[in-house]
Amino acid sequence: MNYLDMNLWQVKELLDKGEVTSEQLTSMCFEQIEKTKEINALLSLCKESALKTAKEIDEKRKKGEKLGALAGIPVVLKDNINYINTKTTCASKFLENWVSPFTATCAQKLIDAGAVIIGKANMDEFAMGSSTENSAFGVTKNPCNTAYVPGGSSGGSAASVASKQCFASLGTDTGGSIREPASFCGVVGLKPTYGRVSRSGVVAFASSLDQVGPFTRCAKDSAIMLSVLAGKDELDMTSSSVEVKNYVQEIKGDVKGLKIGIAKQFFSDKLDDEVKTKIQNAINVLTKNGATTVEIDLPSIDVALAVYYIVSSAEAASNLARFDGIRYGVRAKNYEDLVDLYVKSRTQGFGKEVKRRIMLGNYVLSSGYFDAFYRKAKKVQKIIKQEFLEAFKKCDIIISPTTATTAFKIGEKSDDHVAMYLNDIFTVPINIAGLPAMSIPCGVSEKNGMPIGMQIIAPHFEEGRIFNVADFYENNKEVQ
Amino acid sequence: MSKINLEEAKKLAKLSRLEFTDAELNTFVEEFEKTLEQVNAIDSVDTSKIDLYEETLLADSQLREDVVKESFKQEAIVANAPEKKDGAFVVPTTVE
Repeated sequence: MNYLDMNLWQVKELLDKGEVTSEQLTSMCFEQIEKTKEINALLSLCKESALKTAKEIDEKRKKGEKLGALAGIPVVLKDNINYINTKTTCASKFLENWVSPFTATCAQKLIDAGAVIIGKANMDEFAMGSSTENSAFGVTKNPCNTAYVPGGSSGGSAASVASKQCFASLGTDTGGSIREPASFCGVVGLKPTYGRVSRSGVVAFASSLDQVGPFTRCAKDSAIMLSVLAGKDELDMTSSSVEVKNYVQEIKGDVKGLKIGIAKQFFSDKLDDEVKTKIQNAINVLTKNGATTVEIDLPSIDVALAVYYIVSSAEAASNLARFDGIRYGVRAKNYEDLVDLYVKSRTQGFGKEVKRRIMLGNYVLSSGYFDAFYRKAKKVQKIIKQEFLEAFKKCDIIISPTTATTAFKIGEKSDDHVAMYLNDIFTVPINIAGLPAMSIPCGVSEKNGMPIGMQIIAPHFEEGRIFNVADFYENNKEVQ
Repeated sequence: MSKINLEEAKKLAKLSRLEFTDAELNTFVEEFEKTLEQVNAIDSVDTSKIDLYEETLLADSQLREDVVKESFKQEAIVANAPEKKDGAFVVPTTVE
């Protein structure tokens, strides 16, 4: 029996039964990491601490002590999530040697639930990108076909789960950075509602849009992860006190009476025909089992990408001002004065895409452009959010493709940043509206063999609906 | 529709505390034009009826007692500094 092929909930049961130990599972994961190191999913490993934790959990289990929901399960963190005494580089040269003096709340919650953290995953530098090609430490390759990108920015986290190096991982999603790589790598990726999971200790890109979420192999595993991760945190004032449900119990095994919203804006001519067919087939699985579809209109989501690039770049320019070469990170060797130290350190430490976003952010925030861009974008953001709220009066969930195409080849779009940005047209509106959404695999392309992802969107704090629909689809897709 | 020229790009780089060669800046201006074409799409939306300030941004925020708690150890924070001395960050001379 190959334990690494199993879902998290399945190995959790075997751990409880004593059929396998956490130490064995953790060792198997490290062996798999070694076998699949060509994909470059992980930037650093926590071998010593992971094996020590695994042994401790096995001991506790033997003694019959009460254990958490993730006791003994090997997991991976994206490398912008601080975990004490490990490197947190954000895949940037600037933070190449930064060692976390603390642990992010989301990581601590995993640890408190008994998870074994085995490594830190590659990403686009400071989470800016859609292919993980912007990493300062080499591109991550797609485990389904190593000529292709894994998506981004959480490409390492997605690839790690897809290549069975771990049972779950954490990513962050500002415009699609969990859902797009989940779609490209054929795994399940959830972006929770903005405020559902604490961002404390996660290196900020765009604070009003960033959200932490899990990558898993199935919807039920995602529900287990969110039940652990969600909740109010006094260290993050934007985290919400809305009650955290037991999300596994939200899976009812039934979609009778479910109203699925379909917006024509998600099925435009930008969408690949094959992707469109697969999404339609997936919707058919639900409608044949008692769900109905209803047409909805989201007229402004076509400009969501413009709103996204204005708001996220403005916030990034402010958030990344802290990287000045004084307290941490790169410090240039030769400089004339304090300002020159800032300029030279930042110029040496940041990659091209990060510089591009800082420049765009400062442009839209600068005097003369602030009203035309930033304030206008914030107003359009409000309209987009209102359109979704209006749509949810007519339906329970919305279904769309996660991306317009399957994964592209490494290098194919790296010189065309606008083509790269367009990759996020279906995921960005969700961040703009602060909604929860999941990408789940719904087939494979016959043209290139790469996975296709379906996006399931729910109203704020209704992640339970997503888990129910996604789990139902997973269990009924073969029986059409 | 907004555009950007080389002089503006130089000013922007200065504000951003970044340095580019002229060749890099020229490429940047070309690329920036394309990005601006994208972001100018927001002009098409009528926002005249939108009031940004009618709702509080953080409706969920709560006040808490101001209690002194243990914070990070000085050594742990200074440990990551590129240049440090006697438990402090070393900076270039700023006052003569």
